[in-house]
Amino acid sequence: MTMAHIGGHGRTHLGEYAGDVWFGRLDARAKLVGIFVFVIVSAVLTDFGLVLVSLAVALTLVVASRLPIFHLARMYLTALPFILFASVSVFLFGGWERGIEMWARTSACVLPLLVLAAGTETFDLFAGLRRLHVPAVITTLLMLTQRYILLLSEELSRMSIARKARGFRGARNLLDRYGLKVLAFTAGMVLVRSFDRADDIYEGLKCKGFRQEMTPWRRSKVALKDILLASGLAAVAGVLLIVQLGVIA
Amino acid sequence: MHIPDGLMAPVVSLVGWIEFLVVFAAVLLLSGKRIKERSLPRVAILSAGIFVAQMLNFPIGGGTTGHLVGGALFAMISGPTIAVIGMTVVLLIQGLMFGDGGITALGLNAINMAVIAPLTGWGIYSLLNGLSARNGAPGNVVKGVVVGAAAWASVFVAAAACAGELAVSYAVSSGTYGIAATVAVPAMLGVHAIIGIGEAFITAGVMAYLWSVSPGSITSANLDRKTLPGLRGAISSDTARAAIAIIIVFALTLPLYFLYSSQGKDGLEKVMQNAGTAEGKPMISTPFGYGQDYFGALFAGTLGFLAVALVATAILKLVRMRTDRGTEP
Repeated sequence: MTMAHIGGHGRTHLGEYAGDVWFGRLDARAKLVGIFVFVIVSAVLTDFGLVLVSLAVALTLVVASRLPIFHLARMYLTALPFILFASVSVFLFGGWERGIEMWARTSACVLPLLVLAAGTETFDLFAGLRRLHVPAVITTLLMLTQRYILLLSEELSRMSIARKARGFRGARNLLDRYGLKVLAFTAGMVLVRSFDRADDIYEGLKCKGFRQEMTPWRRSKVALKDILLASGLAAVAGVLLIVQLGVIA
Repeated sequence: MHIPDGLMAPVVSLVGWIEFLVVFAAVLLLSGKRIKERSLPRVAILSAGIFVAQMLNFPIGGGTTGHLVGGALFAMISGPTIAVIGMTVVLLIQGLMFGDGGITALGLNAINMAVIAPLTGWGIYSLLNGLSARNGAPGNVVKGVVVGAAAWASVFVAAAACAGELAVSYAVSSGTYGIAATVAVPAMLGVHAIIGIGEAFITAGVMAYLWSVSPGSITSANLDRKTLPGLRGAISSDTARAAIAIIIVFALTLPLYFLYSSQGKDGLEKVMQNAGTAEGKPMISTPFGYGQDYFGALFAGTLGFLAVALVATAILKLVRMRTDRGTEP
């Protein structure tokens, strides 16, 4: 599943589309707050009509963000199996309306998160979390891990080419001992190489002034357009929630 | 197993978030000294290593593939507390960078894959490792079986927790959220019983590789004792470690039982109600009940677990004494 994510991007760096579109140039804090509020409210909607409205808002965000639709669709496909599993089972037990409601609600939650992920440069996203007072230990770990993932996935890619060059075509099934052994040793080799690199990387970080916390050097100001996006999404979420509570009452 | 937003009932997601925050705060407290400056890059690179290892797909038949979860592997390499932090980081990256797993569902995803999976793997690994080492150093095959069993169980128990959450969501929301237990439980357990086999083979292979190429990288045993200096003695035995893991997993899944049971009567109560009979006065009163609230049930369950463990240990000791006496020349 994860391979599909990385492969699905087609570019060397994640979030690289962020620089191409207006959505990517917005402040990460505004995007995080606006989208999180919208997703949390969308997740608690149970009225069929309101769920469809939230899906329409999510689709509008997808189109308005100007991010490549094909790219977002490929990301959506990775979440689809679980969504379909739930929707089809609800459809079988509770009828078509409930099945569609489940699909629409989960999709209305997933799509804005995909827009956030694809439309925000990764370090900006984590720096935004830090500026929103998420503990430094978590944001620093996120930034370091993201950096190392890029390094190690390149390593894995090189090993994959080397395996293919030696005639390895992947394990055939769970009884293919040789194939599974090769995959396991590849994973083990990635880990060993990562351990070897850990100290070198730490020394490198020290040279760059690392002291327990990754400090975002890039400055970012919340402008009017950022406030408009966050407050717009929050306002839509607020209206949906009020109507939902009215429906429940 | 990555649950998206909008699938689980809000109350179940809330329980997941509360549990996750409590566990994560406790883990940060326990490993606070280690998660300082020098260890941060190591935890990050291990998380990245597990993330990248998850990219290796293995076939599970019928043209479908599975991939490593890695919770048990992480715990075996670096100990349970670091594994919980590292797996949480992996899940956060998957959620924030790829939209894989939701925001409201992050608590439940973390409980399943970053807490239950590593703790189950670590607990079973500790228990079986202790048992296999009683008659001298175990051979490579035995070590592989121990690691494989722990890895398989970690995936299976995490999937069972996920299925339970889906079923409870369905029950508490009258079908608006979640998936009916009759679909969720067999589907999740069936698929993950098979994926678990791949997880077992790959984890055993990775550990075998690490033992032969880089044994110094497996730091779990030493580091854990450093994590809890005050409880060093208490957690030094493999059996005690397994017991701690089982009790924590029990404590985390217990709220699901309360949510589910709040929706109706259990099977026996339902039958009695249909038959028009009522429960009579008990012949013997015991000092402890099953508990009507969370902490009562947690206390009763822990007490029951320890009682069963002690009785089983006593029986095993007796059997061993008799066997030893019988083999004396």
